[in-house]
Amino acid sequence: MGANPVNPQMKMLPPVGGGQASSVPATGSATGSATGSATGVIGSTAPARQLSELPRDELEHLAEEYGLDPTRYKHRQHLVAALHERRQLIASMDREAMLDVIRWGRRPVTVNATKEQIAQEIARIKTMRFDGLSQRGLIVLARLRGVQISDNEPVPSCIKRLKKQEGIFQRINRKRRAMIGQIVSNIIGESESQSDYQFLPPPGGVAGPAAPAHPTSSATIKHEIEESGLFGGIAGRIKKSADSYVNQKLDEIEARIDRKLDEIDRRLAEWRDKEIANRIRILKITLWASVIVAAFSLIYAYVKVYFWPH
Amino acid sequence: MPDVDFFNFWRWTLAIIGGVYATVITLQSLWGWYAYLAGSDRFIGLARRYIIVHGLRLRFTSFWGDVIICVLLTVAFFMLWQAHGILFEIESIIRNGR
Repeated sequence: MGANPVNPQMKMLPPVGGGQASSVPATGSATGSATGSATGVIGSTAPARQLSELPRDELEHLAEEYGLDPTRYKHRQHLVAALHERRQLIASMDREAMLDVIRWGRRPVTVNATKEQIAQEIARIKTMRFDGLSQRGLIVLARLRGVQISDNEPVPSCIKRLKKQEGIFQRINRKRRAMIGQIVSNIIGESESQSDYQFLPPPGGVAGPAAPAHPTSSATIKHEIEESGLFGGIAGRIKKSADSYVNQKLDEIEARIDRKLDEIDRRLAEWRDKEIANRIRILKITLWASVIVAAFSLIYAYVKVYFWPH
Repeated sequence: MPDVDFFNFWRWTLAIIGGVYATVITLQSLWGWYAYLAGSDRFIGLARRYIIVHGLRLRFTSFWGDVIICVLLTVAFFMLWQAHGILFEIESIIRNGR
């Protein structure tokens, strides 16, 4: 990644004086310092417009997508700086480590997704259950959640810092939601079932652009409620069921189309064989007629030459 | 008074008219297909490849009987043609000899 050329379209903030540069608040600077020696890192994607030209609401939306809290940045320029810093942080991350987090969080991404797309999906993972996540994945997750962490931080320490970063009220809320989720799960009687993670098919690939982009998440209702609350969790589950139904129907339609195409192909092959057979038969009849007439003509010529010569 | 062999006349007339007609129709059809399949459109490319695949899938064994008969008939036709030539040469020799 460091070998990438400097992107000329990515413009840093204009100089605003010494004081302001250092007054950029917490999250961004924390993540930026965490990258440490990985300086000189370049943004991975060319923005369509300069960040500084974007209106405030778009900047806030972008910040949320990158896992930043826009309410923490009072001034627009601070937000822009934080976004720059976040993008540089993302560009400095190991892609495989990011994919570890994606697999663990079972987020829907394509196998050739850019680092920024992967980071945006990681930013949507809110769970605090870190079972099964590798150490490098934990480091990526922690950095994207704004935790200062070194490259060789051990797993227990990573988890401890992440939990510490969560905050007491958030933790209480999460526990409360977990309890509700447990109750709902007991009522529904759902059991956990984990299938292997699969990347989404690339757009325009074998499956085509119309391929259903369903998330591969198989989290239980309990975990969903714990993450999104009672209504959010149930709504998510309903949405997932609807998605699954639509995908099933799409698969059926696809299979029907395939069967039709096979039948069309078979009929075309039959038509081709019949057509060629007809042409050959016509040729054969013509040749028979020619040979018979030629033979008859030969007899006529023979008789004319030998029996009635002029 | 010209010596006209009506059989020969009929044969040559039929051969010329039929030959020219068949050649024109065949060339016209081939040109139409060529113009259609030479397009750079994505779907034309697809159709082109599909036709090639169909051509490759074609099996000679389905038509080999008729094809062999056609080949033999063609050989017989050319032999009869040659026999005609020999007869006409004999006729010419006899006529000149007299």
